[in-house]
Amino acid sequence: MKFKTEILYKTMLAATFIAATVMSSATMANEKQSGDFGRGAKAWVDNCGRCHNVRDPKELRDDQWISTAFHMRLRAGLTGQQTRDILTFLQGSN
Amino acid sequence: MRFKLSVLTCAMGLAMYANAGAATDIEKLKAEVDDLKQQVESAAEWKKPITLVHLAGFASVGYTDTKSEPGTFNTGSFSPILHYQFNESVMLEAELEFATDEGGNSDASIEYMTIDLFMNDYAALVVGKFLSPLGQFRQNMHPSWINKMASAPVGFGHDQAASNAEVGAMVRGGFPMSGIYANYAAYLGNGPTLEADAGEIEKIESPGVNKDGDGKKVGGGRFGLYFPNQKLDLGISAATGKVAVRSLSGATYTYDDPRDYDVLGADFIWHINTLDLRGEYTKQKYGAQASSSAPDAGAWEAWYVQAAYGFGGAKWEAVVRYSEYDTPQDSKDRNQSMVGLNYLFASNVIGKVDYEFNDNPNAGLTADDRLLLQLAYGF
Ligand code: HEC
Repeated sequence: MKFKTEILYKTMLAATFIAATVMSSATMANEKQSGDFGRGAKAWVDNCGRCHNVRDPKELRDDQWISTAFHMRLRAGLTGQQTRDILTFLQGSN
Repeated sequence: MRFKLSVLTCAMGLAMYANAGAATDIEKLKAEVDDLKQQVESAAEWKKPITLVHLAGFASVGYTDTKSEPGTFNTGSFSPILHYQFNESVMLEAELEFATDEGGNSDASIEYMTIDLFMNDYAALVVGKFLSPLGQFRQNMHPSWINKMASAPVGFGHDQAASNAEVGAMVRGGFPMSGIYANYAAYLGNGPTLEADAGEIEKIESPGVNKDGDGKKVGGGRFGLYFPNQKLDLGISAATGKVAVRSLSGATYTYDDPRDYDVLGADFIWHINTLDLRGEYTKQKYGAQASSSAPDAGAWEAWYVQAAYGFGGAKWEAVVRYSEYDTPQDSKDRNQSMVGLNYLFASNVIGKVDYEFNDNPNAGLTADDRLLLQLAYGF
């Protein structure tokens, strides 16, 4: 039993890393779609007030919005496309 | 004839002069265009840098008046968040926490520090020390400018019923499902440790330990659904693995035999116009271990519900919260009702006045009420 759980954990760990490598190389092959202002505005309204007060797009500079958008992608479980759309909206509205 | 010749010479001279003037104008214009081009290029560098450094974070200051003690000014934590991002593929995120104790001494700790690889549009690999993805409060509500009250609900503080942090690897992301957004986080980590005193488990410590002392990992995660039309977030969390009692003998830690460990949780956030409702349930439990210095099984359980109503053009918020915390140690148990009023100087600068009605539900035990004033700033 002890041995079995040990193997299960190690398999899970290995699977995570293998999945990570496979998925990241698969992405490199696919060209990503760039951000869209209109879709971004909608995604921003939908998502950016879920956990905290909505932050004004004017509060941050274009570059500051990049890392914030990626930070929020992780927090909110946004897709990469939603993140690029929201970023395009924020950078076009500040 | 002579006259004609001189007129012609003059005209030619003038034409040459005018031509020279036009040439300098064009050169000037060209130089200006080149200059502008360069300016546009360097502005674009800011818009799409390859390497990006960003500083964010939050801090709070306040005043606490506990019923049986004198009122006291205090500084909450100062928590800078550092982001180092490489392209759209890698980000290092680290949150530090600086806090000052009663004696005026400050200490610093790492709340989280991870290297994140954005693998594709639906998944990111997060490795390092991260806030526990179980539930919402610990990972998403703890910053003082986000928490609508000046204190955490009972049971949701550090090392209480809610799991705090983990050192390990996590995959997280989201995907759309016909008008609904699904989000997930799944992790494998070192797991928490148990602290025992006089044959009883004192607390489940989950600061994100840097060594898997019991040699048994803990794995789990959260699955959430967000309904954008209803502005409703729902989530369920679970984790399982083994934990062990850790003791300090001399300068080294020793560990009892491992025992079962399980976590269950559920959370929601619901916005109805300017009404913000949220709540969460969490339970961490460990099994019995006959060979341990603290052999009994136990469960640490907490839940809260909160309603915040925004008014006065989003400048004011009235907040009520109820929370309960139940542990194997009667002295730690709490039932708490709380009322508060917030003034939003800006969406990220909030003044709070709160009153906590605290109660210990066990016979013969009491808990002090508190008045809390806080100014929180998220930057
Ligand atoms: C799932 C909850 C959640 C959602 C949804 C969310 N945020 Fe956040 N946000 C947070 C948390 C938590 C922090 C504090 C950062 C921390 O403690 O790590 C934060 C911090 C921020 C900050 C401060 C800067 C920083 O990077 O810390 C900004 C600005 C911000 N969010 C904007 C947004 C925008 C724009 C969106 C919409 C894309 C968004 N947030 C959606 C949870 C959320």
